[in-house]
Parts: sequence; C-alpha cells; structure tokens
Amino acid sequence: MRANFIFSEVWIGLRRNLTMTIAVIVTVAVGMALLGIGLMINSQVSSMTSYWTDKVELSVFLCKKDDVFPSCKNKPPLNDEQKAALKQTISGMPEVERVDFEDQAQAYKNFQEQQGNSLLLSVVQPDDLPESFRVKLKDPNNAGAVTESITGQEGVSNIVNQRQILDTYFGFLGKLRNMALGVAILMVFAATLLIGNTVRLSAYNRRRETGIMRLVGASNIYIQLPFVMEGVIAGLIGGVFAAVLLIVTKILLFEGIQTYMAIPLGWNTVAGVITFTMAVGVVICVLASFITLRRYLRV
Amino acid sequence: MIHFDNVSKVYANQNRPALDHVSVDVDKGEFVFLVGPSGSGKSTFLRLVLKEERPNSGAIHVAGKDLSRLSNFKVPHLRRRIGCVFQDFRLLPNKNVYENVAFALEVIGKPRRFIRKVVPEVIELVGLEGKAHRMPDELSGGEQQRVAMARAFVNRPMILLADEPTGNIDPATSIGIMKVLDRINRTGTTVLMATHDAAIVDSMRKRVVELEDGKIVRDQSRGVYGQAY
Repeated sequence: MRANFIFSEVWIGLRRNLTMTIAVIVTVAVGMALLGIGLMINSQVSSMTSYWTDKVELSVFLCKKDDVFPSCKNKPPLNDEQKAALKQTISGMPEVERVDFEDQAQAYKNFQEQQGNSLLLSVVQPDDLPESFRVKLKDPNNAGAVTESITGQEGVSNIVNQRQILDTYFGFLGKLRNMALGVAILMVFAATLLIGNTVRLSAYNRRRETGIMRLVGASNIYIQLPFVMEGVIAGLIGGVFAAVLLIVTKILLFEGIQTYMAIPLGWNTVAGVITFTMAVGVVICVLASFITLRRYLRV
Repeated sequence: MIHFDNVSKVYANQNRPALDHVSVDVDKGEFVFLVGPSGSGKSTFLRLVLKEERPNSGAIHVAGKDLSRLSNFKVPHLRRRIGCVFQDFRLLPNKNVYENVAFALEVIGKPRRFIRKVVPEVIELVGLEGKAHRMPDELSGGEQQRVAMARAFVNRPMILLADEPTGNIDPATSIGIMKVLDRINRTGTTVLMATHDAAIVDSMRKRVVELEDGKIVRDQSRGVYGQAY
C-alpha cells in the first residue's frame, strides 16, 4: 500500500469539497465540545457529591434572646444545663454520629468567611447569629427522621438540612449537563449525515478513478481508504477545535466557579475528556463514511 | 481459459434473457471475435467474465477459477489477471500517458521501481514512444486507445477483453489498433474482442463467435463477420 498515493487522493478529495469539509469540521467541533462539557460537568457533580455527602450536617439552630421564630416566641434562650441536656438527647439518637456545638463567636467567624457581601458583614453582629448544634449523621438519608424528632424540642428555633441546599445546586448542574448532552447528540446526528453527504459527493467526483481502480483490480480497501481517511481527517480537525473549546471552557468557566466548588476540575479529567471526545468524533466519522460507501461505491 | 457452461443471464425487470444457455470455450492464447447486433449479449458476456454480473444459471470458469465460488473479496485478484479496453477509452483526463498507465499498477500496490521499469516498455509496445508526457486531450482517438491498451496490458494479464475498441476510431487508425491487439495476443495473452466492425473481422481471419438474442448462432475458427452482411 502506497501511503503517499492515498494521501494525495485524500487531499484532492478534501479540497474539492471544501465547503462540505468545513461544515463537517464545525459540526464535529461543536458536537464534541458539548459532549465534553457535559462529561466535565458530570465528573464535577459526581466528585462533589461524594465530597459533600461526607460533610453534610443538620444545623439545629437554637433560640436566641427575643427570637422571632414561632417556636421561640416569648421564651428565654436555653441555659447551659438545658443545652447540655439537648446535646445529650441528640447524641443519644441511633442515627447520629456526632454532635458539635457552635457558639455565637464561632458562627460569626464562619459567617465572615462565607459571606462576600461587605454591607451585610458590617451590619451583622455576633449577637445576631444563633447558636447551633452541628449534627453529623451516620447516613445522610436519615435526615428526615432525625429532623422530625428534634423539631419538637424545647429551645430549638429551626433545623436546616444542608443536603437540601446542595441538592438544588446539583439539580441545576444536572440540568445543565443534560442540556449539553442533548444538544451534543443532535450535533453528532447532524455530523453523521453531513459526513455521509460529503463522502457521497466525493465518491461521485471520483467515479472515473474508482471505476478504473475497480477494473484493474484494486482491492476494496485501497479504493475505500481515501474516502474513509477524508472522514477521519475532517473528524480529527473537528476534534482539535473541540479540544481547544474544552480547554477554554475549563479556564473561563470552571476555574471561574471553582471557588464555590470544594473540588476543582483537574487537568487530568480535562485530558481524559478530550481524548474520549476525539475518539468518539473519529469513530463516528469512520462509521458514517463506511456506511455511505457501501451504498454509493459498489466494489 | 474462459469456459461458459450453459450460462443464462436475465436482468431484473426484463423478461427476455440477455444470454440464453450459452456454452463456449476459449483456450489459452486464442484470439476470439464476439460479433452480433446491439443487444445480442456481447457486453453481458464480457461483464460476466469480469464477475461484474452473476449468471442466473450455468457455470463460468475464468483462468481456472469457478466464478460462482469466488468470494467478493477475491474478485479484485481475478480482475488483475484480466485487462479491459473500451470504446470510450476511459482515461483519466488530469494524468498524462505515463501516469495513466502507471495508475493501474499504483492502485494494486506495485513497487515504484517496478512501475518505472515496465511502464515505458508497454508504452513502446503500443507504439507511443516519445509521447509519455502528453495529456489525453493532446492525443488522437487512436493514440488514446493505445494508452488504454497499454494500461490494460501493463500488468501482463492472461486475458484481454476489448469491448468495441475501434468503435470511435476511423478505419485506417483501427488497423493500427488491431496490430497492437495482435502483438499482445502473440505474447500468449488470450484476447476476446466484441465488435461490429465487419472489415476488421474479415481481415484478421480469427475465430468468430456470433451472438443473436442471447444465443450463439455461429462459432467458426478463421471466420468472417457474417455472410448476411
């Protein structure tokens, strides 16, 4: 097999159908980039889910002085003994792994770290923040039962399950991922049809050559390879563009929101995603070329 | 070399057979004219030899191979042993004479050193020495057909099929074409030529097989085109 013969044929084919080739490259690039973004979001969500699942706690807020929560109305805050008793009650529950007490000073410190709003920071005083028990559960799925049994306790203003806050956030990411993957599937479909059309045009343009090749006994693979290679090269170039788009996405988007995500998206993951999307792009191109050739290039 | 045993071919959507129970034997090194009016089955006969079509019934052996048992995968290897020449030359317009002939060897993966050696020899054999770098549109019809013959013969096939090779060429030039075919035949290559050209058939005095409506009506060694004409 003569490599330079094949490559010159491929080059001629790509140049003759320049517009179609560009269409293929763009479609593959966008489709593969979206597929990659979907995969990147997916890996981010799953690594964050496992990270947070270990960390989620129930925050059991206690009534402070003159609290406005209905359950605290006209009741004095708990004294130290009562707090110790409540802590005892909560730690006694079989679902609970650990209970930590967060006093107002600690709460203010955490608030300062998490809050970016300087106006709010300047207004809020340590006394405004409630004391709380941070309840770590053995299994985060049991939060409902624990919440229910603590809710009635004297001196408890309200209970927040951190998991619910995270779930809304993950739900949003999940929708974003599904959208990216949905559009990616459409683009892959469009790319397949485009490649099929390009190969068909190419086969028509070169019907003289292929006719003679058939007559003089060129093997099927020799006749078909230039067409398949055209698809592969268009797919590869599209894949390179997709890789660039993915790297830009990683830098602009994922690093921008990294501060909110405990675990940043690593370059290893990005490299894996790029390799995978390129492989998918090339495989799609090869398959589309072969299927079209079987119909339009009788050997 | 070519053996047809009771071969029939009916094309789809047609009730009249293109070939109707044809049996014929062509030996190695023979020169055979296939004559008959248009639609008598000459082209079908040639296409069956190349396994471009399959017969509906009957057996075909070419170069010792039973075509019905030849897998599609091996058809290209069969075609490497058969050269083909057509009425419309079928040259590549963007390649010169040398490149057109070399193309036939390139696409079956022959080494370049081999190509550089044999292509000039074949170009000389067909009488085109000195014209290797002409483009097809700079050549006369007769010269273009010589290029096509060089391409068909460059791989030294055992069989050369010619489908009305003189159909687009004036009688004087046709004689030159026939001389080349005769030269190729003398190297031991079996030549099977379908033609309408009575003058050529009569002058060559070779074996004549006449088809009419898909049937062999005459098979004559050292024959002429036909008494009726």
